[in-house]
Amino acid sequence: MTARASRREHHPVKFTLLLVVSIALFLPFAALAIKGLTPGSELANNSWFPTNWRWQNIPDALNQIPYVRFAAISTFIAVVYSGLTMISSALVGYGFARLRGPGKRALFAVLIAMMIVPQIVTLIPTYLLFSQFGLIGTYWPWVLWGTAGAPYAIFLYRQFYASFPKELEEAARLDGAGRLRTFFSIFIPLSRPLMVTSFVISFNATWGDYVAPTLFLNADNTTLAAGIATGYYNSHGILLPNLLAAGSFIYILPVVVLFLFAQRSYVRGFVSSGIK
Amino acid sequence: MTTLTGIRRRSIRRARQRDGLAFYGFISPWLLGTAILTVFPLGYALYVSFTAWDGISPYKPWVGLANYAEVLTSPDTWSALSKTLLVVVIVVPATIIGSLVLAIWLNEKVRGRVVFRTIIFLPAIVPAVAAALIWKVIFDKDSGSVNRILATFGIHPVSWVTGDNAFITLLVVMLWGIGAGIIIYLAALQTVDVEQLEAAKVDGAGPLTTFRHVTLPAISPILLFQTVLTLITTLQVFIPALLLAPVGVTQTVSSVPVANRLYMVDVWSQFFQYSRYGYGSAMIIVFVIVILILTAVVFRVGGRSVYYAVDPDQREDRR
Repeated sequence: MTARASRREHHPVKFTLLLVVSIALFLPFAALAIKGLTPGSELANNSWFPTNWRWQNIPDALNQIPYVRFAAISTFIAVVYSGLTMISSALVGYGFARLRGPGKRALFAVLIAMMIVPQIVTLIPTYLLFSQFGLIGTYWPWVLWGTAGAPYAIFLYRQFYASFPKELEEAARLDGAGRLRTFFSIFIPLSRPLMVTSFVISFNATWGDYVAPTLFLNADNTTLAAGIATGYYNSHGILLPNLLAAGSFIYILPVVVLFLFAQRSYVRGFVSSGIK
Repeated sequence: MTTLTGIRRRSIRRARQRDGLAFYGFISPWLLGTAILTVFPLGYALYVSFTAWDGISPYKPWVGLANYAEVLTSPDTWSALSKTLLVVVIVVPATIIGSLVLAIWLNEKVRGRVVFRTIIFLPAIVPAVAAALIWKVIFDKDSGSVNRILATFGIHPVSWVTGDNAFITLLVVMLWGIGAGIIIYLAALQTVDVEQLEAAKVDGAGPLTTFRHVTLPAISPILLFQTVLTLITTLQVFIPALLLAPVGVTQTVSSVPVANRLYMVDVWSQFFQYSRYGYGSAMIIVFVIVILILTAVVFRVGGRSVYYAVDPDQREDRR
């Protein structure tokens, strides 16, 4: 019993350092919450906390822009993209890990190279192209991106699937299962932690993406990321810091909550993919 | 006999073909997706970069290499590139080393490590848009917390999003995500051989020596991978620069202070402020080449030290 206790209290210096770093990194969240509940009349006051907490800021922030509609669009796009990319990345990862084909090595090298190709840099050319095909203002780009899978996720799935023994498929083959059925009935259920990791990463990326919605969607039918970035100004173009703070706080909540809930699987997904 | 082997050979070939078909079937979403969504757009941008297209007119007047000549001789390009590299030189090492150090601390049995891990990683999952807006509120001249703290020391309100100060604000926004790598490093630290760590301790090696000769070699591949990824994403940063600008109107980059005119900000303004699609495309192609060269350099330099540290036989030879 003393062994456990002493082992836990062995690092007072590291504990203190971690505490300091954590407080420093957490303070902006606290400042945001306080600012979000400060009435406009007290913004310029030189005090740490408002004398009157103004909860009305929250409904005001939600009404300043079409918040709920933007949030619905963000959710829709993020879920569609993340769901599609989760499945198709697993499929492709399975192909690279368990199947043979001519040119596989070269294609895997291409996949790795694709992780390096800068995304924003391809986004503007994609915009030029999609505008020629009338895809601007639609959600099709996210369907296409999702179907194509994400290189980093494919890589993680491939590493994960490569670690299983060959007998796994042979047993399924003897039972007369085809490749697709083997994949869906054996490999997919095994990869749940990794699927959570991949879903969380893609969801966060899409929910937080500002550039693609700004380029590919119309300003009145866009995502929350694009909406809050430009919406919190009054008619004279002056920033409304308290409403922006309230709006931003609510905007980051889903991402934070999703991470807190999925944290365990998320961490396990990285570990299980055999990052070495 | 001959017919038998012939039949077998044919059936092997047929099995191979079936395997190959299945392989291509499984990877087809990615293969087609990459062709349509990455290779084709880049090819299109390459074509546009040889024209003086304004993005609207149906004609794309061919100008040959004129755009490239302008990109390479324009002082704006070099100033934007040097600012971008300055951000990289500060942010990439800080994030890589900061995350690694934090992960090493968190890997010990410190009290409250799960809470610490969560808090430290939290800023890294806050989307760049929100991070920029949050700091914009905190750095606001009239109502921000930073100026409030300064006021207690009698310092007059400072404008943090204009002039040269804007660059400091930009760095703060980016360094908030200093813990971005801790999860992946913690996963990597779990793979370090416990026996080797024990052996090092028995041999009387201090924590620093153990880290250099046991831990660092074991995690060096993931360190290299993270460095490359961080380098690429940092090179392309422009959302914080765009959204920190005093006026936050979309696609109007004119309000971004000179200090924050990073390369991608410049690209964005060429397209959406000046409608110079041909010139902007040329800037993109040049940037892709710059990124590829920098990545290759990191792989070259880093790859050598990864190999050097990881291969035990190599070390034996040296002794």
